[in-house]
Amino acid sequence: MRAILAFASLRRHPMRTLLAVLGLAIAAALLIDMVMLATGMRASFRSLLTSRGYELRVTPRGTLPFDTEATVGSASALVESLRAHPDIERVSPSLGSTVQAQRADRARSAFVLGTQPDLQGEYTVVNGRAPLGTDTLPREVIVNAVFLTALGATLGDTITMSTGRSAQLRLSGTPTRVVIVGEGRFLYVPPGLPALSAPLAAVQAFLGHAGRDRISLAMASVRADTSSATANAERTEVVRLWIEKTHARVTAISTETAIVQVEERLAYFRQLAIILGALSLLIGVLLVTTLVSLSVNERLGELAVLRAIGVPRSGVLQQIMLEGFMLGMAGILLGLGLGLVTAQWLNAILRDFPGLPADLDFFVWSAEAAWKSLAMLLVASTVAGALPAWRASQMRVAQALREEAIG
Amino acid sequence: MTASAPERTARRIRCRHAMSLLRSPEFSLRRVVVAAFAGSVLLLSVSAGAHAQRVNDTVIGAPTAPVVPGRAVPAIRELAIDERIASDYGVGVGDTLRLSAEAGTIGEPVIVSAIVQRAADPSEVARSEFRVRLHLDHLQRLIDSDDRVDRFAVAVRPEAGAAGVDSLLARINHVAFGFRAHASADVAVESSRTFQVVDRFHRAIGGITIVASAIFLLCILLLKVEERRRAIAALRLAGLSRRTVALSVIAEAAVVAVVGSVIGAGLGWVVTLAVNAYYQRVFRTPLTFAILTPRIALFAVTLSLVLGIGAGALAAWRLVRTRPLVLLGR
Repeated sequence: MRAILAFASLRRHPMRTLLAVLGLAIAAALLIDMVMLATGMRASFRSLLTSRGYELRVTPRGTLPFDTEATVGSASALVESLRAHPDIERVSPSLGSTVQAQRADRARSAFVLGTQPDLQGEYTVVNGRAPLGTDTLPREVIVNAVFLTALGATLGDTITMSTGRSAQLRLSGTPTRVVIVGEGRFLYVPPGLPALSAPLAAVQAFLGHAGRDRISLAMASVRADTSSATANAERTEVVRLWIEKTHARVTAISTETAIVQVEERLAYFRQLAIILGALSLLIGVLLVTTLVSLSVNERLGELAVLRAIGVPRSGVLQQIMLEGFMLGMAGILLGLGLGLVTAQWLNAILRDFPGLPADLDFFVWSAEAAWKSLAMLLVASTVAGALPAWRASQMRVAQALREEAIG
Repeated sequence: MTASAPERTARRIRCRHAMSLLRSPEFSLRRVVVAAFAGSVLLLSVSAGAHAQRVNDTVIGAPTAPVVPGRAVPAIRELAIDERIASDYGVGVGDTLRLSAEAGTIGEPVIVSAIVQRAADPSEVARSEFRVRLHLDHLQRLIDSDDRVDRFAVAVRPEAGAAGVDSLLARINHVAFGFRAHASADVAVESSRTFQVVDRFHRAIGGITIVASAIFLLCILLLKVEERRRAIAALRLAGLSRRTVALSVIAEAAVVAVVGSVIGAGLGWVVTLAVNAYYQRVFRTPLTFAILTPRIALFAVTLSLVLGIGAGALAAWRLVRTRPLVLLGR
């Protein structure tokens, strides 16, 4: 009955109710977007890092993976040492650099990645196959879609790859012919950057002195023998510390550390999300409080009549709070849809950030976080109606009726 | 924000060849400055008491000090460090450090000759890295890059003008092989892509906020006007025209909007002070993160006024189209 009365009260002023619901919907949309932003980067980055099953990244000391041009020398010894550790299951070394790729009259700079194809965690094969690690000639490469478009190439084409240019001789340096055997999706390469991957030994040979027995990164997978995530995390940390203690030239980064370091760089967005999320909540509360307060003031006579015919104080209180709840509910349902649409739009804007992997998302849907935040807004909007509802329930019935009758 | 090595990796160009090309009378350049940027980190060993700590530094090699003719290169080379290293590791001018291109090696001794204040460069603000400056030849030797540099800075004679710069770019690129010339303005646009994205994001959030504010304002004004419907009905019955009532409602809405926006601008100014103080401390930079210019304040007040007048007009229209007796509830 009270719900029907509350609903009727809202229906009596459709314009006012519509605007209030719209206002709450925008507040809810902004809140859900900011929750997605605050939690999404972490979730997306974690998913990216763990997608290929490597828990540790070993880089030149003090650097993040591929954050600088630094490389580690005597890579074979390092990789062998890592593989000899009983808790390390597999190690995937890789070396990155820039090469000049040419097909017919088209030439482009491209990022080249040397990997061990059977162990690599840098790309997934979309079409064709991964290059063979044997010493076949011409060398085989897998490229991304951007590369194919930039050079107008297709699978099976042969291209020329060179590692440098000699200005004096006006020639591209050390040209090598390679055949494209596959198209891959490179997980950590920024969008729009042509990329290709060849077996590690081939890339080291391309680069000559600069690549001789050097790697940019080694990814290591730690054995997970127990079902306890905590025990596995502890084991990973022990292995990480062992690597740093044993090899002074490198830094070992766990997934957690990598996430923390990237979050430090993108801290601004997290902080902005928290501030804007809090503001959305405040705006929602203010809107409901103002609306219900003015609505109660306007209906004092009507509420006094309800009290006069025997409706208890708690009944008036509940009815008015129900109005706040209904407004909040309608606003949240509308805001949920609106928030998901605006999140796509804002995500498309932020994904243009230069240098970030193409697969990294800023806004990621997390049901638990979203429902928690929307429930918070619903509770806040319901409680926001509590003060005017309490004031209405405390009114003096006779005085209110007299004032209403006199007008 | 974070430019990854795949994007930043640059092939170095032969210095002497390009310099001789650029210095030819054909181009008539005022000045050619060479800067070698090494993305590879160098390792700087800082002795602090009994502990030896390692700092990873991005290094720029540039002719920062004039070469005095006849003066021999000192046995121990000098370098300039930035104030972050100085404060974090307690290093000062005259201290001897060790510098190497490869982790795990002892490195060569270097003397700190200067402490450099970092410029307010937005492109590197989120990268909390250290930076040292060496002479070009020193860096080239350390990273074994013989005669190679990453970029040249070229100053064009003032009388050349914009057209002259374009023409020069075309001529240099026509003869260049292995390198390419870009106008500083184009480089600035490309290197500020991060901030263009942030700017677009802020504009999108600003747009959402404006829509929310407009609805909030409209809602409040409708309620305020409806709350006073009896008083307005009495005025109408006393003979006030619809136009006068509507204008008074609109005027009230305009005043509320302007006063609200002025208070909001004041609040915004206080927030900019807090934002700048916080982020300048976090990122250790003199960069100004938030700024309230008279133009922005004027835009905010004008937008509020427009929204206020619009909301007031809608509320007034709803009010004046209703008969006074209905407003009175009779």
